[in-house]
Amino acid sequence: MFKNNKYPKTLMLSAAIGAISMGVSLQASADQYSDAAEKWVNNSFERSTLSEKEQMQEMAWFTKAAKQFRGMEINVVSETLATHEYESNVLAKAFAEITGIKVNHTLIQEGDVIEKLQTQMQSGRNIYDAYVNDSDLIGTHFRYGKVVAISDMIAGDGKDFTLPTLDLDDFIGLDFTTGPDGKLYQLPTQQFANLYWFRADWFERADLKKQFKEIYGYELGVPVNWSAYEDIAEFFTVYVKEIDGEKVYGHMDYGKKDPSLGWRFTDAWFSMAGAGDKGLPNGLPVDEWGIRVEDCHPVGSNVSRGGATNGPAAVYATEKYVDWMEKYAPPEATGMTFSESGPVPAQGHIAQQIFWYTAFTASMIKDGLPVVNEDGSPKWRMAPSPHGPYWEEGMKLGYQDVGSWTFMKSTPEKRRLAAWLYAQFTVSKTVSLEKTIAGLTPIRESDINSEEMTEMAPKLGGLVEFYRSPARVQWSPTGTNVPDYPKLAQLWWQYIAQAASGEATPQEALDGLADAQDNVMARLERANVQPNCGPKLNKPRDPQYWLDQPGAPKPKLANEKPQGETIAYKELLKTWDNAR
Amino acid sequence: MRQTRSKNIGIIIYILLLLTPVYWLLNMSFKTNREILGGLTFWPKNFTLDNYVVIFTDPSWYNGYLNSMAYVSINVVITLLVALPAAYAFSRYKFAGDKHLFFWLLSNRMAPPAVFLLPFFQLYSSIGLFDTYIAVALAHCLFNVPLAVWILEGFMKGVPREYDEMAYIDGYSFPKFFIKVFLPMIRSGIGVTAFFAFMFSWVELLLARTLTSVDAQPIGAIMTRTIGASGIDWGLLAAAGVLTIIPGVLVIWFVRNHVAKGFALGRV
Repeated sequence: MFKNNKYPKTLMLSAAIGAISMGVSLQASADQYSDAAEKWVNNSFERSTLSEKEQMQEMAWFTKAAKQFRGMEINVVSETLATHEYESNVLAKAFAEITGIKVNHTLIQEGDVIEKLQTQMQSGRNIYDAYVNDSDLIGTHFRYGKVVAISDMIAGDGKDFTLPTLDLDDFIGLDFTTGPDGKLYQLPTQQFANLYWFRADWFERADLKKQFKEIYGYELGVPVNWSAYEDIAEFFTVYVKEIDGEKVYGHMDYGKKDPSLGWRFTDAWFSMAGAGDKGLPNGLPVDEWGIRVEDCHPVGSNVSRGGATNGPAAVYATEKYVDWMEKYAPPEATGMTFSESGPVPAQGHIAQQIFWYTAFTASMIKDGLPVVNEDGSPKWRMAPSPHGPYWEEGMKLGYQDVGSWTFMKSTPEKRRLAAWLYAQFTVSKTVSLEKTIAGLTPIRESDINSEEMTEMAPKLGGLVEFYRSPARVQWSPTGTNVPDYPKLAQLWWQYIAQAASGEATPQEALDGLADAQDNVMARLERANVQPNCGPKLNKPRDPQYWLDQPGAPKPKLANEKPQGETIAYKELLKTWDNAR
Repeated sequence: MRQTRSKNIGIIIYILLLLTPVYWLLNMSFKTNREILGGLTFWPKNFTLDNYVVIFTDPSWYNGYLNSMAYVSINVVITLLVALPAAYAFSRYKFAGDKHLFFWLLSNRMAPPAVFLLPFFQLYSSIGLFDTYIAVALAHCLFNVPLAVWILEGFMKGVPREYDEMAYIDGYSFPKFFIKVFLPMIRSGIGVTAFFAFMFSWVELLLARTLTSVDAQPIGAIMTRTIGASGIDWGLLAAAGVLTIIPGVLVIWFVRNHVAKGFALGRV
């Protein structure tokens, strides 16, 4: 009896103590997240286009929205790039401390990311909860219907988990991740462009300028068209030969039979020459891959089906690629891959490069390099790429790589939504300026226009100026015409290599490529694996019929080398400034 | 005298040729990327340990080694546990279809591992084994067990049946005989087998990569992260490569005596 009497009291007491301590610990845990937010905002996200108060509000929203996911561990994956390293090392940690969701942000080679993505698409089994996948796959994703469209998520199950201050209008790459149905399929998290690169210091030298004018009859400057690029390449390799006692070259490229040779072409090379139709971000009905669509269905890439992969403009572009590499590039270029040739211009004997990724910016502004001045400013500049004779106003002019958050339908809902929170965190205004500075791959208008970027601009060789310029919209990724990026992209290097090695003429190599692409598309059509806008190939007919139609495929020009045209770099900056 | 000297010179040249790539890897791992890409240097001009520091301080790097070692060890243990009794059966007993079974054991090695990728992936993820050590270890067993049975069977045949009979007469139970008498006699065979199982599992990338995503990711998959859109991080890749050689060196060091004998005796 005695015992029984006492027992409830003890129970009550312990319950009371328990309740109090629970209250305390709840209090503590609430503080734990806001303390973490404060710590990160003050120490790591100091530079932001938001005020500190707005940053803290954004972080508080994340803490609150993530409440029901606390304690979860999610896995996301991306390729290796300075920006993603920042996300993986800094942002994933910050996110875990602020929200209580642990994120494993795995970094692997881009090809492996695509492989995992394909495995998940084909097997329907979840491997990663979110992928950072290049928007080049937009045509793939919206056709297969395996991806959760971001706009559906924002309107549907992700409604309560969508950051009110996400500000989609501020993103500069949404055009690239929107399907023909108007839905947003992916959310950009990093972007870089492919531009023209040149040694501004050499281009300013009076003796070289004089010599160039004497030979070619116009000013040495940033080439506007391929004729001028070719002249400048010849000028440095053939006429100048040596600067300050060192052998110099007017061109750099790569040509080894290797998968990376495919990017050299699928990353908009044909559109620079002017193959394809007008239209931004990608030509319609024929894009820069030479694939024609009718009513969103790909109908062929061979000229005989109305495509332009083996049309005169594409053949011209391939010929120039082969010619220039043979005549004007260092002899070892033909044996190099993308990653071997990338660092070569930084070694200081290349005058210009027509196909250069701004992802190399950070590695080319390091102190002590031959292409960097003593005060740390670069001796080189980047500028818009010149265009070939087939190019017309209103067409795209270059490539932009847009790594974007992608969510699969096969990922369990709860995991997907937790990953959606992390994805938004990595692009939120609180962190995105710091991320941009760390990785130099801007995604937001507000970051590009920030004072911090203005301050950095002189060190970045024209990156900021380019992203602020109206020319920016002419640089775009692979578009929605390409129905299956992984299957089609892998065809390119094998055929281009035939042209590069001289095994086949450019025309023969591209004929083979066009047929191979049409075969893949015919297989997709037969297998009927794409529920939306799958390929429906045209019957082949006399190519002349298609060449006679307006637009791409365009007939061969009588003169493929018009007068060379250049513009002084300073003038170029001025026209951009005026256009702003 | 002259003959031995010229023989020595030949061996030295041969070893130098073999070691050149390894030296070059080691050399690169102590260089900065600028030096690697800048020109030809035969030893590091600006000696740096930065590449190793990255690997030893970043958990996502060193976990790769731990993951690889974990599934490789599990694989070696399973392979030996399964292959020893199987090889004994093949060497001592006659049963219906034994010859065919013995031959067809190797059927899994007749196809490249790539063809098993998707079936394995689907199988493992449907029973919840995806991204675990045991998944990779079991997948590697498919290739290692048959080979192990073949190697061990050769060694066991070399042990006369009289030993078995003698042990019975002496009153040994079968397990006692097997462990105390039989296994020590084929020590070198077990060493060779363990060595082959280890080597296959350690360098195999395709299956290991496909069957893992985060928790059991092998070092080989993590090394691919040195290849990015802004070029290859050669120094880091070389450092990671040097570190992958070390476990192999250790294994060979420990089994070297057995292996030398084993190669001479075995069927391989």
